[in-house]
Amino acid sequence: MSLQRYAAIWLACIRYTLTRTLMFRGDFFIWALVELFWTGVNLLMILVIYQHTASIAGWSEYQMILLVSTAMLIQRLLMGFFWTSIFEMGRNVRSGDFDFVLAQPGNPLFMASTRKLDPDSLVNSAVSLGIVIYAAHRLGLHPSVLDLALYAALIVCGVAIHYSVLVLTVALVFWLKHAQGLEGSYFTLADFGRLPSQAFRGASRILFVWIVPLVVVSNAPARTILHGFQPAWTAWAAAMAAGWLALAIFVFHRGLRRYSSASS
Amino acid sequence: MYAVLNKYRTAFLIGLQSNVVYRWNFAIRSGFSFVQLAVVFILWRAAYASAPDIGGFAFGATLTYFVTLIVVQFFIGAFNEDYLINEEIRNGLINQFMLKPINYFAYRFSIFTAARVVSGALVLIPLAAALPFLGHYLVLPHGAWRVALGVPALALGGLIQFAIAFCFGMLTFWFLEIQGFIILSLALESVLGGQMFPLDLLPPAAFRVIQYLPFYYQMYFPAAILTGRISGRTALHQLPVQAAWAVGLVALAGFLWRRGLRRHTAVGG
Repeated sequence: MSLQRYAAIWLACIRYTLTRTLMFRGDFFIWALVELFWTGVNLLMILVIYQHTASIAGWSEYQMILLVSTAMLIQRLLMGFFWTSIFEMGRNVRSGDFDFVLAQPGNPLFMASTRKLDPDSLVNSAVSLGIVIYAAHRLGLHPSVLDLALYAALIVCGVAIHYSVLVLTVALVFWLKHAQGLEGSYFTLADFGRLPSQAFRGASRILFVWIVPLVVVSNAPARTILHGFQPAWTAWAAAMAAGWLALAIFVFHRGLRRYSSASS
Repeated sequence: MYAVLNKYRTAFLIGLQSNVVYRWNFAIRSGFSFVQLAVVFILWRAAYASAPDIGGFAFGATLTYFVTLIVVQFFIGAFNEDYLINEEIRNGLINQFMLKPINYFAYRFSIFTAARVVSGALVLIPLAAALPFLGHYLVLPHGAWRVALGVPALALGGLIQFAIAFCFGMLTFWFLEIQGFIILSLALESVLGGQMFPLDLLPPAAFRVIQYLPFYYQMYFPAAILTGRISGRTALHQLPVQAAWAVGLVALAGFLWRRGLRRHTAVGG
């Protein structure tokens, strides 16, 4: 199938989701409120810590807010575009309802990842972007157009890396049928993205900054806004996005071989 | 009396068996909790690098608090009880409890207790694995009174957690979809229950207000007793408040159950 055909399928899914959101408006408002509250919780933690200390690994309060809101922006975009579909993928594999996805004429991972959107998360990604802009304003930053374009590109890389980690986490269900709620483990891993890379020392620096991609995900775009173009960080984030996406696709397809349909 | 207890003992044993089936689930979750502890460790170590004393506590004391909180969570925390109750109401599985001489709250609490026995035992594995790395940071204060007050505080904390989860589950009678409420309660509990940061780091006025809320008594209170964040005098004053919240929330759960049943339609042949 051509890329245009996939784009048409995704657009159809988006239309379906928006129609559904208009039908369940109360649900949309509750979820938007829930995510807004979580955003507040994350900011509150930063504010409380900075009541007692002047810096975290050399990052000032508003630099830290910029980093955390960048991490939240990436996470909200992932949740907006892919979370519900991938969450349901794990459940469908367990129940056998994944047959429905496999019967569709398209790449199984694409079909399973793009069925539903979460407009509430997309609204909250705008809130996170607003906090990034506010923090940049408080820091007196004036990034160039190139820096902003690079920031956007690195956010896309970040979403690709988070998507890969989420798929890898959920793909465990092909091996561990009795394990429920593994999807939640993704949030644990995503928390690393809220830490400045300088906070990591020794072996943890090698592991979490250079091998596990979750620190580079948020630090690379945040550093671009704070300090301008950083060639090493940019190249590493792009390479990580490509590498981890390839790994996620590989593991998903290996897992798929183990899937035994529930139908007779 | 014995027959009544035997009924819930059987429910407990069944819960134990079914939760052992999901042992991998708990084992992975407890493993990931210690991965999250790595985030906590790195963040707070970096914060302590420029302020050796935060809220009157050194880095070791704060790390001990977070480790205790994780262990306590697996022994008394409500994981997905609200969601399970939601499913049972939505799918009509509670209809059977209206026909049997069994109290639904007590039945669910028996299963909750069994689940915590399994998850509590499994959290000890990653804890044992982490101890060689964390051991020299941890500073548990001495004093038998901390155990004497900490154990009832843990038991009451577990009851409060379950009762809150049960109340959220009861919302299914009014709103079919309660997932949003559950996540909202999780966010509230994370902040007001001290999972994001020790509550005593909040401004004094905010901290005083929070001490009147039930979330404070879920996990923060027992963890604070065991890790030396509150004095014996404060613990003695607050234990009756915790007990009052436990009684109040159990009563609220019963009230919601009775009111909810009036709205419930049991369908089936």
